[in-house]
Amino acid sequence: MAYDYQAVHALDGMIGAISERRVNHLAAHRTTAIAMVLAAPGQTAEAAGILVANGEFEARFSGPGEWLVLSEVHAPETLAAELGLRLGHFAFVADQSHGRVALTLSGPDATRILANGIAVDLHPDAFPVGRAANVLCNHLSVNLARTGETSFDLVVMRSFADALVGDLKVMARSFDLSVDFATR
Amino acid sequence: MASLISCPHCGTRAKEEFFIRGDATPVRPAPMAGDDMWNDYVHVRANPRGRIREYWQHVAGCRRWLVVERDNFTHEVFSVSDAAAGRGGER
Ligand SMILES: [Zn+2]
Repeated sequence: MAYDYQAVHALDGMIGAISERRVNHLAAHRTTAIAMVLAAPGQTAEAAGILVANGEFEARFSGPGEWLVLSEVHAPETLAAELGLRLGHFAFVADQSHGRVALTLSGPDATRILANGIAVDLHPDAFPVGRAANVLCNHLSVNLARTGETSFDLVVMRSFADALVGDLKVMARSFDLSVDFATR
Repeated sequence: MASLISCPHCGTRAKEEFFIRGDATPVRPAPMAGDDMWNDYVHVRANPRGRIREYWQHVAGCRRWLVVERDNFTHEVFSVSDAAAGRGGER
């Protein structure tokens, strides 16, 4: 018997339909190809080299020999297979496209909003553009990446996405923040 | 309790990002060691005051097990290293 499966975003019905975009904006991405890559024992440098050399995906530090890989070029259905092909026996790949939710926080107060829940120094000297780290945001573990001077990506486990958006709204209470799905 | 732990992989972080996993000094006996040795390894802890070695897992960061050497009386942290590094592990 065949079943039809329908992908539902973790934030469907929770956010969206805003009347105006404010100076600070939190955008939830609808379809982002995401995969976890764990280097095989002793193959961290080889795996890192393959991930860095390619402009089609972005590898974000998660732990030693472990990266969260995001891609705007590859589809969620094909990213893990593509990575598996390129990494060969240097690493293990697990598709996370529907297991994680990617959010982008941007605006002049982005660092001050994040500072209300994240105990990591976000000054550009300490956390420059391109840096990524797993950090605690209130009680949730998120992968935080600086994508610009005033823009950050947060990648969180799917079931925590609603709680994280709620936390970010509270963290941004003294700032002007709008929340919506990203338009692409 | 020490409030800041410098993870060798993630940098200096608040203690809330970690779980303490217990004394790092007991050495695992050989599989066929006697029951008394296994009993000591599993159940008996010294609970000293002063400089101790403990397993701390960076659950909200890199999720690695670390060995933290600290003073449980003055809160001073002496060293933090990856638990696998001390046993000739990779990462
Ligand atoms: Zn760490």
